[in-house]
Formats: sequence, structure tokens, C-alpha cells
Amino acid sequence: MIDTIAPAAAPVTRKAARPPRGGGPGRSVPFFVVPFGVLFLLFYLLPIGYAIVQSLYVVRRTGTFGPATEVFGGLTQYRQVFADGPFWQSVLRVFAFGVVQVPIMLGLALVLALLLDSGLVTGKRFFRLAFFVPYAIPGVVAAIMWGFLYSPSLSPLKPVTSAVDLLSADLVLWSMANVVTWVYVGYNMLIIYSALLAIPAEVYEAARLDGAGQFRIAWSIKIPLVMPALVLTTVFSIIGTLQLLAEPQVFRSFSSAVTSTYTPNLTVYSTSSIPNFHLAAAFSVVLALTTFVLSFAFLRVTQRRGAL
Amino acid sequence: MRTTLRALSATLVCALSLTACSSGSGGDAGPAAGPASACAPSSAGPVTLTFTTWIPKIEEVVAAWNAKNPNIQVKVQTGPNGNGGTYQNFFNQLKAGNAPDLGQIEYDALPGFRVQDGLFNLGACDIVAKAKDQFIPWTWGQVTLGDASGVYGVPQDSGPMALFYRADLFEKNGIPVPKTWDEYAAAAEKVRAAGGYITNFSQSDINQFAGFAWQAGGRWFSNDGQQWTVNLTDDKTKKVADYWQNLISKKLVSTVPPWTTEWDNAYNSGQAWTWISAVWGANSIASGAPKTTGKWRVAEMPQWSAGEKSAGNWGGSSTAVFKSSKHPYEAAQFALWLNTSEEALGLLNEKANLYPATTAGTSLPALAKGVAFYGDQKIYETFATAATQVAPDFTWGPTMTATYTNASDGFKAAVSGKGTLTDALTAAQASTIKTLKSQAIPVKE
Amino acid sequence: MRENLLSRTAAMLVMAVCTVYFLVPVWWLFVGATKSSEQFTGTGALWFADFRLFDNIGDLLAYRDGVFLRWMANSLAYTCGAALLGTLLAAMCGYALAKYRFRGREVLFNVVLSGVLVPATALALPLFLMFSKIDATNTFWAVFLPSLVNPFGVYLARVYASSSVPDELLEAARIDGSGEVRTFFKVSTKLMFPALVTIFLFHFVAVWNNFLLPLIMLSNERLFPVTLGLFTWNTQVNQLPQLRGLVIVGSLLSITPLVVAFLLLQRFWRSGLGAGAVK
Repeated sequence: MIDTIAPAAAPVTRKAARPPRGGGPGRSVPFFVVPFGVLFLLFYLLPIGYAIVQSLYVVRRTGTFGPATEVFGGLTQYRQVFADGPFWQSVLRVFAFGVVQVPIMLGLALVLALLLDSGLVTGKRFFRLAFFVPYAIPGVVAAIMWGFLYSPSLSPLKPVTSAVDLLSADLVLWSMANVVTWVYVGYNMLIIYSALLAIPAEVYEAARLDGAGQFRIAWSIKIPLVMPALVLTTVFSIIGTLQLLAEPQVFRSFSSAVTSTYTPNLTVYSTSSIPNFHLAAAFSVVLALTTFVLSFAFLRVTQRRGAL
Repeated sequence: MRTTLRALSATLVCALSLTACSSGSGGDAGPAAGPASACAPSSAGPVTLTFTTWIPKIEEVVAAWNAKNPNIQVKVQTGPNGNGGTYQNFFNQLKAGNAPDLGQIEYDALPGFRVQDGLFNLGACDIVAKAKDQFIPWTWGQVTLGDASGVYGVPQDSGPMALFYRADLFEKNGIPVPKTWDEYAAAAEKVRAAGGYITNFSQSDINQFAGFAWQAGGRWFSNDGQQWTVNLTDDKTKKVADYWQNLISKKLVSTVPPWTTEWDNAYNSGQAWTWISAVWGANSIASGAPKTTGKWRVAEMPQWSAGEKSAGNWGGSSTAVFKSSKHPYEAAQFALWLNTSEEALGLLNEKANLYPATTAGTSLPALAKGVAFYGDQKIYETFATAATQVAPDFTWGPTMTATYTNASDGFKAAVSGKGTLTDALTAAQASTIKTLKSQAIPVKE
Repeated sequence: MRENLLSRTAAMLVMAVCTVYFLVPVWWLFVGATKSSEQFTGTGALWFADFRLFDNIGDLLAYRDGVFLRWMANSLAYTCGAALLGTLLAAMCGYALAKYRFRGREVLFNVVLSGVLVPATALALPLFLMFSKIDATNTFWAVFLPSLVNPFGVYLARVYASSSVPDELLEAARIDGSGEVRTFFKVSTKLMFPALVTIFLFHFVAVWNNFLLPLIMLSNERLFPVTLGLFTWNTQVNQLPQLRGLVIVGSLLSITPLVVAFLLLQRFWRSGLGAGAVK
């Protein structure tokens, strides 16, 4: 029943979808959307709203041990955020990190997904599992594991780790990038791979009949068809990079170059441990806005190019 | 985009009402229906107390109490240690009004809780006031905040410091065991010449460094009732900082990040020859450096002048009662039993390696034995002496988490060759003052 | 033919190199779990010393009256339910975003995206206050309910629904008189199944490995999921150094259900399911 040629041109035709006839399909939208929506409202939006409101408050106190009262302070906390030099240095730092690490990670994920889908590889099941396992390893053991692997004296890669100080101020950011890549290549690869699985085989038949090789098929057919998935993984990665927390915390325990304000989210964490929730909330809001600007800019650029 | 903003602001309005509810209930001071500051027995009926702590095997100690006190039953809740998330949870719970009755709080964290008005003044309980003499005086000082009648915890354990050293290596190389810091520096040169490091300087154990400053007479925080004074760079502390900076600059100490397998390895492979640490460190070395069993001994901490008798302290915690507790009297009774009765102290020492804060506790039978790892030396005698040599007037600030983090950031730079320890302390002082001001805590500029 | 052999070899070579890169640390974990604590630092990291894996597992399961097994059971309880239900809810929402044009569609998309922009660290206190208000902290629901929300799953579902479920098929079903919901469950989910498996697996891992939410909500150790339990032990390593070994063996065991889930669900990743098998 399906036109075998249509799917190849699908991205173009699907974008010009006809509006629903009558009120029929539209009526069931609430059924699909409300369950998730309610939970999202409760557990994400309301807490975010609370944090935003709290960021507008200041603490007033009497005496050296006097009890505190919360008073509306307007943008006082934000003034402190914008005056915080190390915070903005950390923003630049994660930006530099992202510009290098995200393309490498996603490029590798794409290549591996294409290879797995190409039929050139035997033992697909094993490789899929092998690439997935890093993502499954719990964070609690990461510090011990990477502390060991990067150790100048105990690492199995001792020739490298003792010759070059991978944990020094110049290199630690890239050692961290290595860990993040290691964890998330498999994750992103599986997202892209799932998108590749959705492409019907008939699409390739036509190309193969025309004599196209694997590389040509990958370049001209597969990649354009998984572009939405690629855009998505890029947006996730941008968000994840700006919110980098777990890996810096892990590295803090064994590297002298990682301070408590190394990434913006680490600053949020350190501030809320004092505890200074109002200031931490202000940092979070500013970080969220920065992430918002960058991810929306990226989405706008890709939408203009017609990728979604 | 406009509709999105409208949707988001609608959410904000909802959240505003949520905030109004929670901050209307008295801000940070817990629920409105709290007890008065009097400490009287609760009216009739059995009482159940909740106690959050991270002491290993604490359930066995509490079970002993529960067996004998059917009318005051204590329910233990365990979790990560204070800085691993439990202190944060306490703060959240205080704000929500559902904090437990009792909590374990280390000495350096107590002022932080006091400042959030989260603690019940146990000084109002006469049973607590009467117990004061059972404790080693400086530990009582650690839990007294503000004026002398403000007692905010019952001291539980302490961490008097001493010198753990590789007796075999010192003997083999003909280096005398240092008794003063000058001797220690001289020994450091000889140790380095023999291929080892005298010790590993910790870039993140700021409370160990505080112990050094404490021994030398440095006083980082003081509180005259009107405002706090922050002085991380007073003369004595500067002396200590310059001393260690000298050792770092001359590369006479290793600077491996502590508490890592690499650090364990440094001790296990004989790279590091001493560790100036607290009494609980005895177990850390024994577990982290098993290959070196029998080769370590314990001596008094090096002194600044020959014949001086002063020790520092690293660690130690108290049992505090939270302000929202509905049964402060019973909680105080339990806290006192836990930290003064011979039965409880014996169990705490046996199961969790805690070193008691009471004068009687330092002569527990378990502490009179020789320890095999240390060549059967009766190491606890040294610590008992050290426990009497800790100065009683070292005050912690109300935002120690921030101070530790800031100082550690600077220490990390110093061990990498960028700046000195004194620079780090100066920066940490400025940061601490800024943190206090942003919490509206009065502080001298 | 030769090109095929060359391509295959090159592809396998890339795969092999990547496998080494990804699995060396995992191998380290496995080898580390077989060693006793003395041998952990003393012997070479990538090969066995005395093989003590089963002894170590025994120690792990015996410690504190078998609390580790309890933690594993808790994790299974939190994760299976939350991942199944959460995936379904995310898929439904993503599907609607992809397949229906409705007023507020873009708003919903933007709002959900805005929601993930705020770091989770800032949401800990408000979530705790919320559950405190209804006296539900330190309960199963305090962890289960927030774990149901999977915003990234919504986006994934949207992308996959767009590419796997042709509008023509939905039209055809509509003409046949099938309601939207029925079409979703009978037709669309089958077409999207490999994608749903992906979303489920990721959500499963995310909930399984999440210890921040349980950390703030739970004070009763018997309710901890396994990653929070291991995290707790890890914070006590300075006092009880022997816990480090238990953390390593425990981590290895805690990956096992994730690997099992992956192996069981892998079979659904077959291409050609998008080829309109539904008539």
C-alpha cells in the first residue's frame, strides 16, 4: 500500500502536511499530551518557577547568629552573578569544550552508526553492546576508574600518563573531554542508528541498482535522512556540555587543576552547598538563559536550512 | 515565542503561590509549632526519636539504648556522610520542617547550622549543663557557640593529631624522628636524598591545614557578638603557610591528590614516610598501605619550639538536636548516653573506630591495647596525651564549606606552582567575607 | 568483490579499535572486582592477580545483612515501572508533536525544551519542599513519580515518529474508521518499535543510575536504589577503606541488569520494520 518511491522524498512532502480534516484527529491530542504534560508541569516547571522566584530574594539577618528573613531583593543576586569573573570564565571554558568535543563525539557516533547499518560489519550485536556499556557504568565508580587510568604511577597506560601530565591545567579539560566522549558516543550512536533503522530498504535498492557504493549511499541518502536525529543529538549535546557537572566533580577528586568553579554548573552546586539557595538559583537561571540562547540559535540555523 | 513566554509566566504565577506558602511559614526558622526553648520532659507516653547519622554500625549501639529505654525509642537513619549530601539534606529538611530530632554534625559545620537557626540550645537542658565536666574542655568549646550558655551539640569524638612515621625507614637511613618543625624540615631534605618524600601535602584537606594552624596558635574566626572577624592570614597561620610553601617549592613533599588510590599507593610503596594526621588516620593507613604492616609508629606532632606541648585537631563530630524537635529533653538524654556512657563509647570505638571526647573515654580498655599494625605500640596513649594539648579557643566560621572550597582551589594552584599558600589563604579570606556578606551575616571588612 | 573485502576489513578495523577504546575501562572494572583490596593497587591493573570475584561478591552480599540485594530490588522496582510508563508517556507526547498540528504545538515544544535548560541541582530543594508539603518524602513515590518524566524521550519520539510513521498510513487508518488512540497503539507503536526500545533503554539507564533524586528524597537506607547505596559507601571510604572494594564489585554487579535488558531488547533493532508491514 505504500508507494515505494515516496519515502525517499519523504522529508519534503511530510513537511507540507495537510491540516487535519474537521476536528477529528485534533480531539485526541489532549489524550496524548496531557499525561506527560501534567507530570512535567509538576516536577519541572513548578520547581523551576520556585527557583526563579527565589533568585529574586535576599537574606536579612540580625546579629552574628541571628535568624534570617527572606526579603525581596529584585536583581541583587543577578548583579552578583554578572560580577562573578570565574563564572564567566567557566562559561567560556565549557563553550570552548563544546566547540571541539561535540563535533568529534557526534562525528564518531555517526560513523559508527553508519558502519553498523552498512552491512560491512559482522557481529553487530556485540559491537552495539560494547558501545553502549560505557553509558551504563554508574557515576560513583567513575572517579575511582578514571583516577586510576589517568594516574601517573598506577595506570596501565603508564608510558603515556607518566610522560605527559594529563591532569595539568593545560590538558585536564581535554582529558575530561575524552571521558565525556567515551561515555556518550555509544548513546548518540544508538540514537542515530535507530533513525537509520527506520529507513525502508527500498530506498537503497534504487540507489544500488544505479551502482552506488556504500559510501555514496551513506553520504547522499542516509545522512540527509537522519538529519533530524543529528540535529537532536547536537542540541542535547550543547545542553549537556553547558550543564557539565558529573565529570568535573569526578576530576576534582584527583586533579589539582579542577577548582570548584571550573564549570558553570559546578558553581551552582558549590553555591547551593553553602547553603545559599538564592544565589545558586540566580546562577542557574543565568546558565539556563545562556543555554537557551545557544540551543535556540542552533535550532534556528538548522531549521532555516530545512533539516527539520 | 510570545505564547511560550506567556505559558512560562503563567507557570511563574503558580510557582509564586507555592513560594508564598513555604516562606510564609516563618522563613528559615522551621515550623511555627516548635517547642519553646525550655527543655522539659515531654508529657506522658512513649516517645520515638529519629536520628540521622553516618557512623558505621551505629544501629548496634542504638539497639543497646532501645533495649533499655522502652519509653524513648530511637530510630536510626543512615546515609552518605555530611559533606556527601547529608548536610544539604538537613538544610532542606529544616526549611521544609521535617528534620529529624537528632543529627550528627561535625564541629566545623555546627556554626553553619546555628546561623540557619536550625539547632536547639541544649544549654537550656540542665542534664546537659551538668555533663560539661565529663568532656575534655576544648571539645566543649567546639560545641559552645555565642555565649557560654549556648551549647548546640554533645561532643562525640575528636581527632587529636600526631605524627605517623615509618620507623624502619627512618632508622635505616639514620634520620632521627623529628620533634620540632625545624627538625622535620631538616629530615625532609634527608628523606628526599634517600629517594622518598617526607609526607604528601594535601591540596584539599583544608581542615588538616586548619589543624596545623590550630596547633601554631592561629585563629581563623572570632565572633564578638556584634560581628565576625575573618583572619585566615594571621601571623601564626602565615608562619605555617610559609613553612609548607617552602617544602612544596623545594619539592621536598609530594603533592598527590589525597584519598585516591594513587595516594594510598604512595604510602604502600614507601614513597611517603610520614603522615601528620588524626587518631582515626590509624585505620586509613592500615587499610590503604597493607604492605607496610609493622613498620609504622606514632609519635607526638612536631612542635614549633622545643619542649612545647601543643597539638592540633582534625575532625570530630557532635550529636545535635534540631530546633524543630518535639522532644528535646528526651533527645538530649539519648545524646548524652550516646556520648558519655562507657557502654556506648566502647561500642562506638569498637564498631566505628571513634575516639571519644570524654576524659573517661580516653581510658577505655580497648584503647589501652597495643596495635599490631604499629608494631604493637600502644598508639592511643600518644593520642590521649595529644587530646589534652589541643587549645580550647579555635572557632569555626559559619560558612566553612565555602571557606574550604575556596582555600582548596588556591592550594591546588599553589601545588601546581602558581602562587603560594599564603596567596590562597588571602583569596579564601576575601571570598569568605564576600560569602558572609551575601548571607547578610555581619562581618568585619 | 575486492572493494567489498577492503571495505569490510576497514570497517571491522575501525570497529575493533573503537571496541578497545570503549571496553578497556570496563575491563579494568571487571579485573578490579576480582582482586582483594591489597592487590588492587599492588598488581597490574589490566590483568588478574588471585581470582577472588566470587569471594568479593560474597562479601558484598553479606555486608550489613545483605542490604545490597535489597538495594538491587529497589532499583528494579523504581526503574522498570518508571521506564515503561515514562517511555509510553514520552512517546505519546512526542508522537502528538510530530503527527498532529494543534494550537500550542510550538509552545509545548519550546516549554519542554526550556524545562531541561535549568540544571537539576537547582531543582532539588523545590522538589523536596513539594513532597514535604504532602508528607511524601522518604517514600517510594518520591523517587518513582519524578522519574517518570523523560523530556529527552519526547524529542526522540518526535523525531522517530516523523520518520517512521507515514501520514498516508494514518490517513488510511482514519478512513478505515480507526480512532487516533487505537491507531497509535495498533499501528504507530509497531512502526516506531525500534525507536521505542531505544528510548526505553536510555530512560532505564538514566533512572537506574540516578542517585541525586533518591539522595535528596530518601533517608531510609532500606529504600535506597543501588547507585545511591554505592555512593553512600563511597563517601565513607576515608573512615572504612575496605568499602572501596565493595563499591567496585557493587558497580560491576549493578551494570548487570542494564546489560541484560540491552541484550533482551536488542532483537527489536531490526531494519525494515519501517517498510509498512501494516495493511
